[in-house]
Amino acid sequence: MFAIEVEGLRKSYGKDIAVQDVSFKIRKGEIFGLLGPNGAGKSTTINMITGLLTRDAGTIKILGSDPEKDWERIKNKMGVATAYYPLNEILTIRQNLIVYSKIYNIQNANERINSLLKDFGLEHLANKRIGHLSSGERTRTTLCKGLLPKPEILFLDECTIGLDPDIAQKTRQMILDYHNETKCTILFTSHYMFEVEQLCDRIAFLDKGRILYVDTSKELKAMIKKEVIQLTLKSNTEKLSSFLRKKSIRIISVQESIITFELQENKETFQLLKEIFNQDFDVIDMHISKPTLDDIFIHIARNGK
Amino acid sequence: MKWYRIKALLLKYYFITLNSADRIFDIFYWPVIDVIIWGFTSYFIKQISSLNILSMALGGLILWLFVWRSAQDIAVYVLEDFWSKTLYHLFSSPVMISEHITSIVLFGFLRSMFTFFFLAALMFMLYSFNVFTIPLALLASSIAILSLFGWAMGLFITGLILRFGQRIQVLAWSLTWIIQPFSCVFYPLSALPQWAVPIAKVLPTTQVFETLRSVIFPTMGSQGNLWYALVSVLLFLVGAGWFLGSSFKKAKKNGMLVGAE
Repeated sequence: MFAIEVEGLRKSYGKDIAVQDVSFKIRKGEIFGLLGPNGAGKSTTINMITGLLTRDAGTIKILGSDPEKDWERIKNKMGVATAYYPLNEILTIRQNLIVYSKIYNIQNANERINSLLKDFGLEHLANKRIGHLSSGERTRTTLCKGLLPKPEILFLDECTIGLDPDIAQKTRQMILDYHNETKCTILFTSHYMFEVEQLCDRIAFLDKGRILYVDTSKELKAMIKKEVIQLTLKSNTEKLSSFLRKKSIRIISVQESIITFELQENKETFQLLKEIFNQDFDVIDMHISKPTLDDIFIHIARNGK
Repeated sequence: MKWYRIKALLLKYYFITLNSADRIFDIFYWPVIDVIIWGFTSYFIKQISSLNILSMALGGLILWLFVWRSAQDIAVYVLEDFWSKTLYHLFSSPVMISEHITSIVLFGFLRSMFTFFFLAALMFMLYSFNVFTIPLALLASSIAILSLFGWAMGLFITGLILRFGQRIQVLAWSLTWIIQPFSCVFYPLSALPQWAVPIAKVLPTTQVFETLRSVIFPTMGSQGNLWYALVSVLLFLVGAGWFLGSSFKKAKKNGMLVGAE
């Protein structure tokens, strides 16, 4: 059973195409990431799915229904949080959450609001106006609002932008905890690769309004069979450099006692390192870098599918 | 439409009013200034010409309030949602545009009634003018028609805001003042130049104020038709509602709700 099914979604503003032919299906309980640079079409896609923007073409199904025919039921099961739009700036955090708790007709609203404020470290700011908060505090407030109705589907649009690293990590953990507790479906957008990798079961790469690839982060990373190895030597690097050149290995850089090179296959790595350690190159430190989602994204964006 | 969601939005506008000095200020400030200016002007005219226009001026002023407040409150509260970019959160929740507008209309009406009773007391204290000498049925039906017309204008302005964005926000404050000279609030229809009479006759507001004058000042020769006013105001309301609905669809299409203005 799919929570969200999107087929052939298209949106343009005049001659500017924001999203074209976007299709994906998100299973119930899955955390699905939309990843891409600014202007890739992530927010436009989310806005069409949440009913804030009318699509030019394509179909959307949420929880098995056409949302256009059943918005009220579907929106009661949806939570939306974004860093781009704060809650009403004239109202305090608590006043905003009270209003939304009444919109969603939440029972024991005060209890729920207090618990969310505590979880997001906003208790001491509850009676402060949104307009007087820092951007990180505002973002956490919209997350509280998103989680308030205990949604079955949670839309998180760039919801960690502006958070300091510690709070961002706590926020990601909160999202994971909520997901583990409720098994809700999450559509998560970000342009931070590590974040998407940490949270998402599957990832869709978007660029210039198109989906370039959809897969798990593990499968996506396997697309690039490349590792970067950095060795620090006790003596000079000349001997090792010529050894690598003889083997036609691409050397990325040589800096005093540090040499960095690139290998194409995992099997090759083990074999080569064995040879290096068996010879007298005086290696005192070693660092192996696996391809990151950033590398994958750049690779896909440059080379296409 | 769900009443609990309308109540939630009423609570939101109550909180906004509570937290915002200018929202409280505009319930009292401009109406009081108007009362003082028109009161003093009427006294002055009476001194130099023995003409007593106090009842006409203050009566017109207190009832025009319902057109002005109703139209402006709808437009300004929608604009505030635009300024604060909260339409994103509002319309990604189960709130429907009809619930949003209903809550603003109800809240605006409560604010109008509050200002009305405050001004009525003030006028009585300052000038011994008692608005309740107008027959209650006529007063109530006049308030109803004028409020409906204000709402129709508010819906129309909101439709324009949704269609063209904040660049036309000046209309939120000015449209009622464009209509006012043709509505014969402070003078009879016969005082208008010939070219303006057909425009004035179409407006339900003119019919209301002419009817009021025909009752309060029978010798003035004013003649209004409240039934015409009621039918025409309902037509205005239906037209403005349709325009708003179509503008909302357009706003969702051109990204106005998500700030793609």
